[in-house]
Amino acid sequence: MNRTDALIELDQVTKSFGAFQVLKGISLAVKDGEAVCIIGPSGSGKSTILRCINGLIPINSGSIRVGTHEVHKMKTEKEMRPLRHQVSMVFQQYNLFPHRTALQNVMMAPVQVLGHDRREVEARARRLLAKVRLSEKADAYPGQLSGGQQQRVAIARALAMEPQVILFDEVTAALDPETVKEVLTAIRELVDEGLTCILVTHEMKFAREVADRVCFTDHGRIVESGPPAQIFDAPQDPRTREFLGQVL
Amino acid sequence: MALIATYAGKKRTVQLGIALALVAWVALDATGGGGEGWARVWARLPILLTGNGSGWPLSGGFALNVFLSLCAMAMAALLGTALGFGMLAKNRLVRVPCFFVMNFLRNSPWLVLLFAMLYIIPFNVRLFGVSIAIPAFAKAVIGLALPTAANFAEIIRGAVQSIHSGQWEAARALGYMPMAIYGRIILPQALRRMIPGWMNLYALLMIATSLATVTGIQDVITTLNTLLAMENERVIVYFYITALFLFFAFCYPLALLARRMEQSVKGDSL
Repeated sequence: MNRTDALIELDQVTKSFGAFQVLKGISLAVKDGEAVCIIGPSGSGKSTILRCINGLIPINSGSIRVGTHEVHKMKTEKEMRPLRHQVSMVFQQYNLFPHRTALQNVMMAPVQVLGHDRREVEARARRLLAKVRLSEKADAYPGQLSGGQQQRVAIARALAMEPQVILFDEVTAALDPETVKEVLTAIRELVDEGLTCILVTHEMKFAREVADRVCFTDHGRIVESGPPAQIFDAPQDPRTREFLGQVL
Repeated sequence: MALIATYAGKKRTVQLGIALALVAWVALDATGGGGEGWARVWARLPILLTGNGSGWPLSGGFALNVFLSLCAMAMAALLGTALGFGMLAKNRLVRVPCFFVMNFLRNSPWLVLLFAMLYIIPFNVRLFGVSIAIPAFAKAVIGLALPTAANFAEIIRGAVQSIHSGQWEAARALGYMPMAIYGRIILPQALRRMIPGWMNLYALLMIATSLATVTGIQDVITTLNTLLAMENERVIVYFYITALFLFFAFCYPLALLARRMEQSVKGDSL
């Protein structure tokens, strides 16, 4: 792939927490409209990669570019504001704001951070809640919703920022098997619409279905990456084979 | 569910038992000459409550304790808020001294702090050539506000830090600036957790106002001591029980309310 036309580009990114090196040189390029799944064992640095892309975690060396933003050069939250507008994130633990209703959760940031018109944002928020099939729960507080419903509100909240990219961090890991499906359905629709998505996931079947490309990470490195058919059916690296042998 | 019901039932039975025992004791005691003691207390009750024999205007007594606790709490709220946010500051130069001050004040006996204020704060201050007298009441307010402020600050810090870190992460990911994260996301949630703690603290402060008698203000304890000098030794115990009950009647409802609020906050999700 020609690197310059990539929307997101990571080059030799390293990150340490104290003495522990989590990322040992990650290079990755994601095109506009591409859906990339990152799989791998726990502690291999999957979630850290996502948090580096939107600047939640500063990196030690290497470079990260998202669109025109050079993430590795940004120091303050204020500098990162345009980046956060472009890149949304959905978390494993949903992290909805418990003191606000579902509708308010979706509306808050566009009104308060982006300064969009309230009425326009409310229309957008209701449309997004309808998209994730939660129109009737608009006035419910997060505590009154099931895990799957909360996660769908979180997806609507991320979409309300009108991002170019959404990062999904093990969004189904805290859900029970029945509700996993409703969340995955919502994500699949976004991928089909051509939104750029990077997904860290343990749902191998889902990764195989939606991803344009799958990356396998182990011990802070991307060991192998390629189309899902290649990774799942004919893995080249012995570590990928071992991991897939365990989870499939 | 059944277990909770029996627990609540048992609790109510015990409480009823204590109340009945108290009434029985008072009734039994009244037949043995206790009625006379209560009559003396009743005659002096206006002065204990208001510092004034006729009950009006308010000039001391228990009313002064209430006023003192309110003043000290207001001052503690101001100081404690500053101290609490100081302890949450990113800058070490702010945070470390705040922690030091908080620990020092929180681990000092309240009575010692009161005495310290009594002697550290001068009787007179000369400001621009004008001599201003500092009343004992002001010293009592400051002396009680200092330890209360330290505890107030700890309640703020504890509540803010009890908010799940995912809330910070989510807010940052949505582009909120640190101040906005505090104002719009962290504090609204933390405040719910602070209020019961503050109410408990206020009840403690109210009880501690009885210490302020050492500053010489005419609070309920000073008034009580003055009165007792003129009373028969046998009735002293009735006066002390009355003073005890005054504080109890004021603080117990607060403690109950605080506990109920704690229960309602407990279920908050992440």
